[in-house]
Amino acid sequence: MAKAKELFKEFKIQSVSEFFRRNAAMLGYTGKIRSLTTVVHEAVTNSLDACEEAGILPYVRVEIEELGREHYKIIVEDNGPGIPEKFITHVFGKMLAGTKAHRNIQSRGQQGIGISGAVMFAQITSGKATRVITSTGGDEIIEAWVKIDVEKNEGKIVKKLKHPNPTGWRGTRIELEVKNVKYVRSKQGVFWYLKLTAIANPHAHIELIEPDGKLIVFPRSSEEIPKPPVEMKPHPKGVMTDDVYRMAKKTRKNTVKRFLISEFSRISGKKIDELIKYIAAIRLINSEEDKRIKDELSERLAKGEVDLILRSYGRRAKKIIKEVQKLMEKPPEKLSWHEAEEIVEAFKYMKFLAPPTHGLRPIGEENIVKGLTGILKPEFVTAVTRPPKVYRGGIPFQVEVGLAYGGELESSFNLLRYANRVPLLFDAGACVTTMAARSVDWKRYKVEDLDRAPLTLLINVISVHVPYTSTGKQSIANEDEIYDEIRLAIMEAARRLQTYLSGKHRRLYQVRRKKTLQKYVPEIARALSILTGEPEEKIKEYFISLIEKKFETVEEALEQPVEAEADVEA
Amino acid sequence: MLKREKPKERFGYDPQKVLRKLEELGKEILEEVRQGKNPYLDIPTRGLNNVYFDEVKRVIRMGDKLSRRYFLNVAHARKFMQTLLIAAYVKRLVSEGKHASLREAYYANKHTIPGTKENTFEDQSESDPVIEDLERMLGVLREEMHLTADRRGYVYGDITIRDGEDEFNTSKLGMGGWAVPGTVEHIQFVDINVDYALVVETAAMADRLIEEKFPKKERALIIATQGQASRGVRRLIHRLHYEEGLPIIVFTDGDPYGWYIYSTIKQGSINLAYLSEKLATPEAKFVGMTMDDIKKYGLENVTEKLKGIPPNKKGGPTGDYKRIIEEMNYPWFQTKEWQRQLKLALEWGVRIEQQALANKSLEFVAKKYLPEKIANEELLP
Ligand SMILES: Nc1ncnc2c1ncn2[C@@H]1O[C@H](COP(=O)(O)OP(=O)(O)O)[C@@H](O)[C@H]1O
Ligand SMILES: [Mg+2]
Repeated sequence: MAKAKELFKEFKIQSVSEFFRRNAAMLGYTGKIRSLTTVVHEAVTNSLDACEEAGILPYVRVEIEELGREHYKIIVEDNGPGIPEKFITHVFGKMLAGTKAHRNIQSRGQQGIGISGAVMFAQITSGKATRVITSTGGDEIIEAWVKIDVEKNEGKIVKKLKHPNPTGWRGTRIELEVKNVKYVRSKQGVFWYLKLTAIANPHAHIELIEPDGKLIVFPRSSEEIPKPPVEMKPHPKGVMTDDVYRMAKKTRKNTVKRFLISEFSRISGKKIDELIKYIAAIRLINSEEDKRIKDELSERLAKGEVDLILRSYGRRAKKIIKEVQKLMEKPPEKLSWHEAEEIVEAFKYMKFLAPPTHGLRPIGEENIVKGLTGILKPEFVTAVTRPPKVYRGGIPFQVEVGLAYGGELESSFNLLRYANRVPLLFDAGACVTTMAARSVDWKRYKVEDLDRAPLTLLINVISVHVPYTSTGKQSIANEDEIYDEIRLAIMEAARRLQTYLSGKHRRLYQVRRKKTLQKYVPEIARALSILTGEPEEKIKEYFISLIEKKFETVEEALEQPVEAEADVEA
Repeated sequence: MLKREKPKERFGYDPQKVLRKLEELGKEILEEVRQGKNPYLDIPTRGLNNVYFDEVKRVIRMGDKLSRRYFLNVAHARKFMQTLLIAAYVKRLVSEGKHASLREAYYANKHTIPGTKENTFEDQSESDPVIEDLERMLGVLREEMHLTADRRGYVYGDITIRDGEDEFNTSKLGMGGWAVPGTVEHIQFVDINVDYALVVETAAMADRLIEEKFPKKERALIIATQGQASRGVRRLIHRLHYEEGLPIIVFTDGDPYGWYIYSTIKQGSINLAYLSEKLATPEAKFVGMTMDDIKKYGLENVTEKLKGIPPNKKGGPTGDYKRIIEEMNYPWFQTKEWQRQLKLALEWGVRIEQQALANKSLEFVAKKYLPEKIANEELLP
């Protein structure tokens, strides 16, 4: 289990609380229903993230208490690693203070505006401090009331208590009092949000107590904690000037060259030499007055004729190259905005190996199936996780689709959209997932009327950098590569649905047969383990794969309809 | 005179043998699965169409028909699982030196299969046959697997037995004798001071003989079966005969039920055909009651009518009549003497109980009937 303290080492601070006051809407605090969902989202994603990083099977409980008209108390409690005392003000009091904010990592909360935004929202609407109760499992439980000092971008602990922790409780509970919000059981509300969260996180046990006291449980259906995503160095094609500039300011490397080599993927010493030539070429091209010549040269540069262009400038080129070489040797914190711009522009012309994709963490086909099955109880379910791909030439992403059909599903089409496992509840129309889902010719897959089909489609797009259409982060931009991948995944899932529908009964029968065999496996494994001394788990695996093999092809299984014990002569 | 003979079998109880067989069974299955093959259990088929009478050994034997129980067959999978569950349970019992009754074995292995509403065993009627299957598959007795049958029957006479740490003489335990446990596999015979064993159907008759000091006077061991002989009693009889050379004489009521008791002691039963070699004692002889006894000892007025409809009447034969006709067809009753007895029973339509002999006097059976018949070897084969 990663220690809470280690997670906090990467803590960085940015100063933008004022910014929030002016931009609350942009950060998800628009509308009475959405604001409530956003508060819950910030707290719940933090709980799930923290558990995941610490290797804990999450147990998250959300309670919405109605205190008055459009006045609620929101309580979110988890069994995560807890927050060390000295970080409480940072976590809840500073904007963009997250541990994940500056890491190139696929994460639920992507910009670190996170929980302090919720604290701020509570403060603005109800005037109340946020109550935090947390323990890292040690001797004490900290109870603190946190407010944000908007001018100083600083958290203030208004009141703090320490309690003994005799039972060794570990986790975090936060209570926020908010006004101007409304609890409704709509598809934009907390209930729906948690339901979608539960589907995408079958390893989490999630509970909700609604304002009327009703307890809703989304039980855990997988015991497997997803591996935390790993940090990936950004790819040159995936960065903007701002990124390079910001990274240069905080790097520990002492030259621009070393900075670029060590903090980006796919940049080698040789690539730096190439980069120098490209920057020089760009400077020369930009020095041309005639727009026609400029365009023509740019076109040639894009074709990779960098050496030819430089040669045509002769000695002037040599001089510029020297200058750029010097730039590469200077300390990165001295890198100017303009120079960062030049680097990024050069990146656009250059060719790089595709970025590494190992850091992406899909939900996984098996878990999607578990999640959809556990929460929706369909009769048919399938999932497709596509291999990682790259968009805009440098940003790795991956698409997965789950399809549930029939069973307890209502006869209407539902699209469950996710980015990095986080449900997207708003702006569905503008989202690439919606467009891709609608573009599929469902009739070809035996779904006559999509809108009246008992069909739920889950689409999860994961990336270090999900291209949202807006800062509200509720819909994904229509990037060609992403659109294509989503379509391919949907069509694969739909093909399986078609097979199922055309042989529905035959299949059903097979599934039942398979289940019948599977349910005996643990019993048999235990018995055989006692008889032979071999480990139970291994025996289980043998049997499971035997069953899998048998049911690989329906046809084969159908060849043996003999159900009676076969009589044979010895 | 009846005397002990030379032993033909040796004490052969070896728990390691059972453990080895169970382990082998497990390993074979595991190996199959590991190779991606559909594992199966070969179980000798039970029931009439897989038994035959071995004319040479003169016992009912199991045929070589096998049922193959495959794991990957949905109709077999549950039984497959149950068989392995019991096998694992037996391994634990034997290696821990513990015994369990059939009922206990049922309860010990009954539980809900996780994630379902199904129990591993719904009823004892599911676990009992699985235990029999294991016996047939492995060729070991249920008793060797430490699963005890119901206990019934007792023994009285001058023999000394060692049961674990206890050693005792069965004539020194009071009039009730020594109750035969469900399992006699581990019992050892320390000292035998009798010339033969008299197997008695009813407890009342056994008690009478004990009270009359018959065992002492006649140097006989009384074995009371109390109805159909339990497996423990049958195994005890078998062992006394083969390991200790004791002649076996059976004394039952003169009716189809009594003769059937004799027949199972002697030849084994259809249900347990696979165990005949361990349970049956084909050399056993029959002293009574016979139809001839009725005439010879003037017991006509203490006979009872056979139940059911005779074969020559409409709707017949049923009840006792039917049983007798069935028994007439048993291969081991195909002797002149037996055919005669059975025919007489049908003809006269009567049965005669052991205790009818009390009509003469209480001592009659102990002082006259048995000693005379046995001394003169007036015994049926
Ligand atoms: N429930 C929690 N348990 C443990 N740590 C938490 C919890 N909530 C927040 N944190 C810590 O506070 C940091 C800031 O959270 P937040 O402001 O939401 O930003 P982000 O989630 O983007 O990192 C998190 O990165 C995490 O380290
Ligand atoms: Mg967060």
